Amino acid sequence: MTTAEPPVLEMRGIRKAFPGVVALDGVDLTLHAGEVHMLLGENGAGKSTLMKILSGAYRKDAGEIRVLGRDVDIQSPRDALALGIRVIYQELNLVPHLSVAENIFLGAAPTRGLGVIDWRRLFGNTSRLLNDLGMDLAPATPLHRLSLAQRQMVEIAKALKDPSTGSGQVAKILVMDEPTSALTSREVDRLFALIARLIAGGVAIVYITHRLDEVYRIGHRVSVLRDGRQVATKRLSEVTVAELVRLMANREVGDHFPRQRTAPGAELLRVEQLGRRGALSDISFSLRSGEVVGIAGLLGAGRSELARVLAGADRSDAGRVVCHGQIVKFRTPADAIRQGIGLLPEDRKAEGLVAGLTVARNLALPHGRKLARAGFLPRGCEERFAEPIVKDLRVKATPTQPVRLLSGGNQQKVVLGKWLAGDARIFIFDEPTRGVDVGAKVEIYHLINRLTASGAGIIMISSELPELLGMSDRILVMCRGRIQAEFSAADATQERVLSAALGLAC
Amino acid sequence: MLRARQFGTVIGLAVLCAVLWALTPHFLTVSNLLNIAQQTSINAIVAVGMTFVIISGGIDLSVGSIVALAGVALGAMLQTGYPLPVALAAALAAGTACGMLNGALVSVGGLPPFIATLGMMSAARGTALVFTEGRPISGFDDGFRVLATGSIGFVPAPVVVMILVYVVAHIVLTRTTFGRYVYAIGGNEEATRLSGVAVRFHKTLIYGTSGLISAVAAIVLTARLNSAQPIAGMMYELDAIAATVIGGTSLMGGQGTLAGTLVGALIMGVLRNGLNLLGVSSFLQQIVIGVVIVSAVLVDTMLKRHKE
Ligand SMILES: Nc1ncnc2c1ncn2[C@@H]1O[C@H](COP(=O)(O)OP(=O)(O)OP(=O)(O)O)[C@@H](O)[C@H]1O
Ligand SMILES: [Mg+2]
Repeated sequence: MTTAEPPVLEMRGIRKAFPGVVALDGVDLTLHAGEVHMLLGENGAGKSTLMKILSGAYRKDAGEIRVLGRDVDIQSPRDALALGIRVIYQELNLVPHLSVAENIFLGAAPTRGLGVIDWRRLFGNTSRLLNDLGMDLAPATPLHRLSLAQRQMVEIAKALKDPSTGSGQVAKILVMDEPTSALTSREVDRLFALIARLIAGGVAIVYITHRLDEVYRIGHRVSVLRDGRQVATKRLSEVTVAELVRLMANREVGDHFPRQRTAPGAELLRVEQLGRRGALSDISFSLRSGEVVGIAGLLGAGRSELARVLAGADRSDAGRVVCHGQIVKFRTPADAIRQGIGLLPEDRKAEGLVAGLTVARNLALPHGRKLARAGFLPRGCEERFAEPIVKDLRVKATPTQPVRLLSGGNQQKVVLGKWLAGDARIFIFDEPTRGVDVGAKVEIYHLINRLTASGAGIIMISSELPELLGMSDRILVMCRGRIQAEFSAADATQERVLSAALGLAC
Repeated sequence: MLRARQFGTVIGLAVLCAVLWALTPHFLTVSNLLNIAQQTSINAIVAVGMTFVIISGGIDLSVGSIVALAGVALGAMLQTGYPLPVALAAALAAGTACGMLNGALVSVGGLPPFIATLGMMSAARGTALVFTEGRPISGFDDGFRVLATGSIGFVPAPVVVMILVYVVAHIVLTRTTFGRYVYAIGGNEEATRLSGVAVRFHKTLIYGTSGLISAVAAIVLTARLNSAQPIAGMMYELDAIAATVIGGTSLMGGQGTLAGTLVGALIMGVLRNGLNLLGVSSFLQQIVIGVVIVSAVLVDTMLKRHKE
C-alpha cells in the first residue's frame, strides 16, 4: 500500500437512483493494490448496487471511475472484465444442468477449433484450478447435485480462473459480495487463505459482509454505507466493532445474542431413526415447546437435507416422525404445514421466493386458503396481511414492490416472514440470518425469543457458530448424515462443536 | 394496472389501425370492425387458456385438436337429438377432460409440457377423425346457431361470448387463489411447493382450464360454420401462442396479463383483415404476420432491457 503509485481503483461521487429510491448518493471508494477493503452497511444500504456499477451490471447516473489512474467508462460486464474487474455476486448465477467444469469455463471453454470443446483440457484445467484454490470438488459433477456452499465455491473458482487456461484477463480487482454467507467455518478458513494468497499477488479486494468477525480477520480498511450515503472510511486498526455497528445502524443495537431461555414444555416433535438413502441415517432427537435446537455441521453433513425431510420437501425411507404425539408421514410440504411445520429454506432464490411477485404476495403465498373467501381474494387483503409483517421485520420495501428489486437481506426477511403469521408451531430455520445485517439479526433473535415464549419450538441450522452457541438451548452436531454429538448450551464450546463436526469425536 | 409494456402493444394496435385506415378507408367502418371482432373472437378465446398455461411456465400445443374433438362431440350429440344443454355440457366436459389429462401427464407424470401436449394434439385430432370417419357433421337447428348468428344490440354473439370469457378469466386470474398460484408456479415452482401449495393439483387444473376454454371456442366455431369438422382448429395453437406472446406474456412463465393477450389477438385479427382488404396474397400475408410477431416481441424485449 504505497502512495507513490496510483490507486488500483477510484470511484468518485457515484450516484444511482431507481424509481422511488436513491440507492447511492455520492459515494467514493478508493482501493490500493494488495488491500482488502471491507464494505459494510445495513440491508438495502446500497453495497451491492455500488459493486454492480463497478461490474457494468448497472449504469451509474453520475460520478467517475478511474482504474490505475485512468478514467474508464464501464458500459457493460465485458468492459469490466477487460479491466480486470471480477465480481462474485451475492446471488449465485450458475447453470444447474452443466458440470462444475462447464460452469467455471462458461463461454471460455478451451476448444479444438470451430467451437468443439476440448473436454480433456477443460477437465484438466478445472482440476488444476480447483486444486490451486484448495477446493474439493469433482469437475464432472453436475451443478444441481451440489450443496449451496459448494456452488458458492464454484462461483468463486469461476471468477478466479487463470488466464493461461483460457479466460482472458488477470483479476486486478476482485469483488466478493457476501461470499461466506453459505459457508461453514472450514470453508471460510480456506477462502481466507486464498484471499491472503491473492493480495500477496497484488490483487485488490472489495469484501462485503454482515459477519463482523470476518471484518477484523482479513480487512485492512473499511467503508460504511448508510441509506446510499457514505458515512465513513477508516483503517480497521482505528475503529472498534461497537463503532462500526453504530455507524451502520445509526442507533444502539444492544446485546448480540439476547436469548431468553424458557423452561421447555410438551414435546412437539420426535424423530426416531430417520433415514434417507445417501443423505441421512439413524437420526433421532426431539424438540419441545419453548426450545431452540441448533444443528451444527460442515458442508455436506446433511443438515439441510434433514430440514427438507422434516418439512415434507423430500421423503424419508427409514424411521419415523412423531408430531404432537402422533406418527406422521409427509408426502408433500403441504402435509407438513398442516402439522404446523414451517420451513425457511437454505436457498432463498431457488426455494424461498417467487421473485416476480410482490412482497405481499410472497408473504401471503402459504396463507392463500386463510385469506380467501370461497377461493376469492378480497381486494387488498394480501397487502393488509403483509403490512404488519413488513413493519415487524423492518423490511426496507413496500408490500407492493416486486421481491426481485429488494436487497439480499431484505429478501431474506420476506422468506422468514412467510411463516410468522400462520399457525406454525414448529419452525425449521435453515440459515435464518443469511445475508441479514447486524441490527436485523438481533431483531430476528428477539423474534425467536418471542416465538419460543409463545410455545413454539425451533430447529435452527446455522453455519455461524457464535450464533448457534448464543441462541440454542441444545446443539446437535451432524457429520456425514448422522448426529455425531449433542451438547447442552452450557457444555457447548466452539472447539467441541467443531471437532465433533469434523468427525474427530467419534 | 396498465403497465408500460402493455401500453406499447396498445399503441402498436392504434398505429396499425391508423395505417390501414389511411390505406383503405373501408377499414374503419362499423361493419368491418364488427367483422374483425367476430373473426378474432375464436383465436382470442383459445388464447385465454394459452395465457394461463404460459404464465404457469408451460405450453399447450393441443388446443386446436381439442377444439376439433369438442366440436365433433357437440355435433354428434346434437344430431343424435340430445337437448342443447346436454350437448354443450358434453363438449365442455370433453375439452376439460383432455386438458386435465395433459395436466396430469405434466404434473404427475413429469413430462415436459411440450411433449405431453404434442401427444394430445395428435391423439385428440385422431380421435375426432376416427369418430367421424373423417366427415364433417353438418346442419343444426337455429336454437343452436343463434350462438353465431344472434347478437345483443349490435354486438354479434361470438363477440359477446369472447367478452364474457375474458371478464370471467380475468377475475379468476387476478382475484382468486387459483390465479395467484398460476403466477407463483410459473415464477418459481419449488418455492411455491415449499409454501404448501398443491402444485400438481393446480397444474392439472391449469391445463384443464385451457381444455375447457378450447371447448368454448369449439362451440362458437361449430355454430358459426353450422358444421362440426374433425379437421377444424388446425394451427390454432400457433395463433394463440402468438397472441399471448405479442400481448407481453413471457414464455419463461411468471408474468403476463389477459388484457395484453386480447390486444395481441386483436393485432393479429386487424392485420389479417387489413391485408385482405388491401388484396395482399395469402402467401405474402404469412410473411407479414411472421415479421409482426417477431418484431412485437423484439420491441418488448428491448424495452425491458432499456429499463434495467
Ligand atoms: N433493480 C432495482 N430496481 C429498484 N430498486 C432497486 C434495484 N436494485 C436495488 N434496488 C434498491 O436499492 C437499494 C440498495 O440495494 P442494494 O442491493 O445495493 O443493498 P445492499 O446494501 O447490497 O443490501 P444487502 O446487505 O441486503 O444485500 C435497496 O433499497 C433496493 O431495494
Ligand atoms: Mg447486497
